[in-house]
Amino acid sequence: MGPVTEPVRIMSDNGFALRLSGVTKRFGAHTAVDGLDFEVPRGVICGLLGPNGSGKTTSIRMIMGILGPDEGTVSLFGENPDVTRRTKVGYLPEERGVYKKMKCLELITFLGEIRGLKRAEARRRGGAWLDRLGLPEWADKKVEDLSKGMQQKIQFIGTVIHEPELLILDEPFSGLDPINQDVLEEIVRDYHAKGTTILFSTHLMDQAERLCERVCLISNSRKVLDGELKDIKAAERRGIVAIEFEGPDSWIQGPEVDRVEQGDDGLHLILRDGFDHQPILARAVNSGARILRFDLVEPRLHEIFVRHAGGRAVGDASMSEGASMASSSEDAVVGAA
Amino acid sequence: MWHNVWAVIRREYLQRVRSKWFIVATTVGPLMMAGLIIVPAWLAVQGEREQFDLAVVDGTGVLYEGLASRLEKGGFQVEEARWHSNVVTELRERANGGELGGFIMVDELTLETGEALYYSMDVPTALRQVTVQTSVARTALEYQLEQQGVDPEGLLGGGELQVEVLSAAGSDISEPQFAIAYAGAFFLYMVILLYAVAVMRATLEEKTSRIVEVIISAMKPSELMLGKIMGVCAVSLTQMAIWIAAAVALLAGAIPMLIAARPELANLENLREIAPGMGLTALFVGFFVFGFLMYSGLYAAVGAMCNSDEEAQQAQFPMITLLIVPIVMVAPIIQAPNTPMATALSLFPLFSPILMWARVSGGGVPVWQVALSFVLMALMIWVIAAIAGRIYKVGILMSGKRPTLPELWRWVKEA
Repeated sequence: MGPVTEPVRIMSDNGFALRLSGVTKRFGAHTAVDGLDFEVPRGVICGLLGPNGSGKTTSIRMIMGILGPDEGTVSLFGENPDVTRRTKVGYLPEERGVYKKMKCLELITFLGEIRGLKRAEARRRGGAWLDRLGLPEWADKKVEDLSKGMQQKIQFIGTVIHEPELLILDEPFSGLDPINQDVLEEIVRDYHAKGTTILFSTHLMDQAERLCERVCLISNSRKVLDGELKDIKAAERRGIVAIEFEGPDSWIQGPEVDRVEQGDDGLHLILRDGFDHQPILARAVNSGARILRFDLVEPRLHEIFVRHAGGRAVGDASMSEGASMASSSEDAVVGAA
Repeated sequence: MWHNVWAVIRREYLQRVRSKWFIVATTVGPLMMAGLIIVPAWLAVQGEREQFDLAVVDGTGVLYEGLASRLEKGGFQVEEARWHSNVVTELRERANGGELGGFIMVDELTLETGEALYYSMDVPTALRQVTVQTSVARTALEYQLEQQGVDPEGLLGGGELQVEVLSAAGSDISEPQFAIAYAGAFFLYMVILLYAVAVMRATLEEKTSRIVEVIISAMKPSELMLGKIMGVCAVSLTQMAIWIAAAVALLAGAIPMLIAARPELANLENLREIAPGMGLTALFVGFFVFGFLMYSGLYAAVGAMCNSDEEAQQAQFPMITLLIVPIVMVAPIIQAPNTPMATALSLFPLFSPILMWARVSGGGVPVWQVALSFVLMALMIWVIAAIAGRIYKVGILMSGKRPTLPELWRWVKEA
């Protein structure tokens, strides 16, 4: 009977580092987050994706107890998100607040201390982190003397100094140069390898695509899609076929094919919605062409997002980036619909 | 909980104590105090020193003794020169040779009119002229009164008025006590305001820089607020301890040494007599701590509900008023400290630090009233902590416009 209890435990909230159920937040007449449900299983890297103004930061603030939800519940490690639970979280807010007049190592030590570390231990770890990030000579310099990027590193150290079980990073990569983005990505992967659960928000789809196992896409305050990235991609794998061939090309034209584009890896056949690629392959073989490649192109996260969120994003002028993103992709949305 | 509060206190304390502002304010304060007291006295004596050696030529034969003792009390070194026909020439030469600062000649006319001749190497200061003039006139008057068989002591001393206070409401307050009561009240106003505003600014800075989001994710708002207030309080007490130690060192060490080395600075001894004693100093610190705890709570709430320095400037208006009202009333209350009005106002907790201090340091306030004021202030601290704590809790994480009064009330009720 032993194995039976195992899945039950996983199915309970204990298997999730974080769970939001029906969470809604309104500011006056504006609904910033609307009935958001999602969960992050323990040990997973999850991306919270969406254009600026879509409700990512509001959601994260509710998780951290900075804002109270108007409706719905948040649970951390299966329990109420009180201070005790939150000290097991490392939280990097979107707006990077630091005590500018403090010395770097003292700031890091303080941030460790308030998360329950002994002072000496916090200091030791802080020193080790400064070494690792190439900032040892800055330990006794004031934070205000550092560049923005370096301040961000100091703040990141302060976020992870107490080895949290859950890392919540709000736009962690913004403001960093490419080299430091790589450094940070490396550290995030390290924590993931150690079993830390990570939730980070971003509007950079490429970053999310590289890092995430799970994603939650939100647009205009609502969840659009969530789940395992590979499942989502598999489900969305339709519509584009990359081909290489020798011989006649008459088989390309047909009722299924909307248009043909030159891609990086050969010709892309863009299919009409609801049509299968199989008849094209049959036609090709019959035509006597020699097929070198016939490949269903995995859609980029960006395309998936646009496919799902574009329609809803249209027309909300108050969210400039969300709106512009939607309008630039309107053709694609209409094409897919 | 105390782990977090302690971490906040330590951070706040070390940050502030190490700041340039603290070091400058703490050291410059006592130095200025010492400077203001010692330097003018020293300079005054320094400039006049050589001019204080005087010779007295007594043509009457009866004035020298009395005149010499009066002049010596005024800081002069006096020697008698015998009258002879060449005495002016001789003394003039001695003065030119640097032996004398000048000489005074009194004769029979002096006994009748008080006129005398003062030969001086420099143009004497007004003070020196008056000292010499009154010494001569009084000595002459004393002689004449003695001739009449009248005791000159009492009359010359300006008489004596014995006062019997008929009602209990009166108080006799000496000038130094008035100065201490007034200066102390004003100093309390300044330090309470200074440090309460420091709490407000720190709160505002944490809020606007958003670091509070990280801190609040690790502790309760009440812990942060408590730690912040205690930290600033510790800083202020450190500063006061240094100031008090400096004052004690000045009064008990530096001034006696200075007087021993330079007897002409004997006037500084008066400072030791008017300086507040241990009890009054302890009371002062007590009023400061209770006052600070009340006002810093209010100021922390203001810092938490505002989003910019400008907003905070406006929002602190009620507190400034609460501090200025007692300051305006200090002078009348020192004059009449035991009227029912004065008693009532000084027992109102938010006024107590300033007004009860003013009454107590003037003397004549029943102990029970002082004790009651501390009890009432303690209750007020508790009330403010409850209300301000709730405003702080909501406000510190709130952005957007400053809350209106009804909104504030809702925060207090709902938090």
